[in-house]
Amino acid sequence: MNRRIAIYLSLGLVGLVGCHEKNDVTVNETRAVSTRDGPFKEFATSDERFGNARPSPVTGETPPGWSVQPGNEFRLLNYRFGPDGSGEVWVSAASGTLADNVNRWLRQFGAQPLDDAGLQALRRVAILGGSGVWVQAEGAYAAGMGAEPRAGYGLAGVITEVQGQILTVKMVGPAAVVKADSPALEAFVKTLRLADPAE
Amino acid sequence: MEPPPPPEPPKPRPSPAGRLLNVLSGLGLATILLVLLGLLTWLATLEQIDSGLHHTLRKYFDWRAWYLLPELGGKTVPLPLPGGYWVCALLALNLTLGGLLRWRRDWQRVGVLVAHLGIIYLLVAGAVAHHFSQRGHMLIAEGAASNAAEDYFEHVVEVAEAKDGKPAAIQVIGGKYLTDLEGSASRRVRLPALPFDLELSGYIPNAEVKSAAEHAPPAGVPVIDGYYLAPKPAEINTEANTPACVARIIARDGSQAAPFLLSSTARQPFSVRHHGRVFTILLRKRLWLMPFTVRLDKFTAEFYPGTMKPSKFVSKITRSENGSDAKAIIQMNEPMRYANLTFYQASYQQLGQGPAARMASVFEVVRNPADQWPQYSLYVVALGLLVHFITKLAGFIMARSRPTPHV
Repeated sequence: MNRRIAIYLSLGLVGLVGCHEKNDVTVNETRAVSTRDGPFKEFATSDERFGNARPSPVTGETPPGWSVQPGNEFRLLNYRFGPDGSGEVWVSAASGTLADNVNRWLRQFGAQPLDDAGLQALRRVAILGGSGVWVQAEGAYAAGMGAEPRAGYGLAGVITEVQGQILTVKMVGPAAVVKADSPALEAFVKTLRLADPAE
Repeated sequence: MEPPPPPEPPKPRPSPAGRLLNVLSGLGLATILLVLLGLLTWLATLEQIDSGLHHTLRKYFDWRAWYLLPELGGKTVPLPLPGGYWVCALLALNLTLGGLLRWRRDWQRVGVLVAHLGIIYLLVAGAVAHHFSQRGHMLIAEGAASNAAEDYFEHVVEVAEAKDGKPAAIQVIGGKYLTDLEGSASRRVRLPALPFDLELSGYIPNAEVKSAAEHAPPAGVPVIDGYYLAPKPAEINTEANTPACVARIIARDGSQAAPFLLSSTARQPFSVRHHGRVFTILLRKRLWLMPFTVRLDKFTAEFYPGTMKPSKFVSKITRSENGSDAKAIIQMNEPMRYANLTFYQASYQQLGQGPAARMASVFEVVRNPADQWPQYSLYVVALGLLVHFITKLAGFIMARSRPTPHV
């Protein structure tokens, strides 16, 4: 009787083990090429394979020395620059008014918010067929979301309103790096254009 | 005076096997099984609202589901019920044994026997469809052609040598070698036709590929070339899941290359150059090649006035096979049956926006050896009942026409 039970248990165990695929298998299955197997890009990078697929509604000419980074839902265009890549530039669509955004940036550097007169006094630069205000600041940069303030940082950027939407171009990094690349930023801003919706 | 008749000898008690046979062929069991089937169908209909159709069908009616605990409104009902597949199997056995053992050799009851056989045929058709049918879908834009349907659920890894920017000699690693690789499990897949093997691991049934530069990865999650896999809750529509895994190439000399990510959402395959040859590796839903090509000539959709509820979808297609063309129309409730395949008009999509937008038709493609069996089984049942009613009616009329003896 015990022997019979042992046989049944062994068979059951073999059956259970047999239900699982082995960790080393040989596969010979093939299929023919179909109409679904179109051309592809050889050696696509991970950014090309997995990066944000949505085309940015804004395009621009990348200045020399800047490297293009993958965009995301907050950064329509995204770049790094500087000797060690410590500087960042990104183009975003933002909510609120132009004044809200100027003062939000300033507060991130511990600077006093501007009143209307202060806003009027800001330098204006050409952008997207109109003009935007040039904002700059230096100090300890608190990016928000609980991030530790980073001392010795600099800000340069442009905020404008396009078709009822606030658009920001923000450069942040170590103060010296930002100062050195501010002219490149101003040149970059002039190259921005809205993508053709039909494209 | 005649002596009283001897008492009838007591009927021998049936053996255990006989008693089991009596239960299995009994009307009581048939009644219980039919009630259970009704209950399972009702519960599954309710549960699929929250859990999705595929998951619910698998839970209630798959052959691997011996028993189940229903869920209503997201809460488990502590009422174990037998799996629907096995209830049907037992019902088929019950009807077979009942028909064979309990059928009195009375030709007036042959109609009932035929009806029984029809129901058994229906149950067998269900089992054949469950085990041997294949389902996929084919999306074709107007003016375009396709010769491949895509499986709804199974994802496979395909490895192909690239020639002139297109894949050739495609090797397919089936989903069964992937889906059990969740967690730390890994598997070496040997590919004798290729100059390397693959190691697969870290399978996630529904995953999002995230950029580590944008979202910090959780502790312990490997970041591969700036990206990592983040699990997502399973979709209610199982076919919408986007699985992903980690893969690595192992050369014939045993050397291992750096790992890379495979995801069904990847826009391009992973490419690698190996001994001067270029290979692509990707994770996609299994493609199922048709023996002919279908070109969508024209698609039209009509809707009930003021709604988006479809009243009619019509696809005019050209079927090309061995150099000859044949025209056909596929529309709702009027599928195209050809070469053991059935093309149902399932839905449609608009591809692109604006003036360049094109309509695309979506066909459900089914290969089911028992495709027409339910229909035939119903004919058999109808024939059986017809014979039975006619027999009864004839018996009734003949009894009425017999002269009544006068007392």
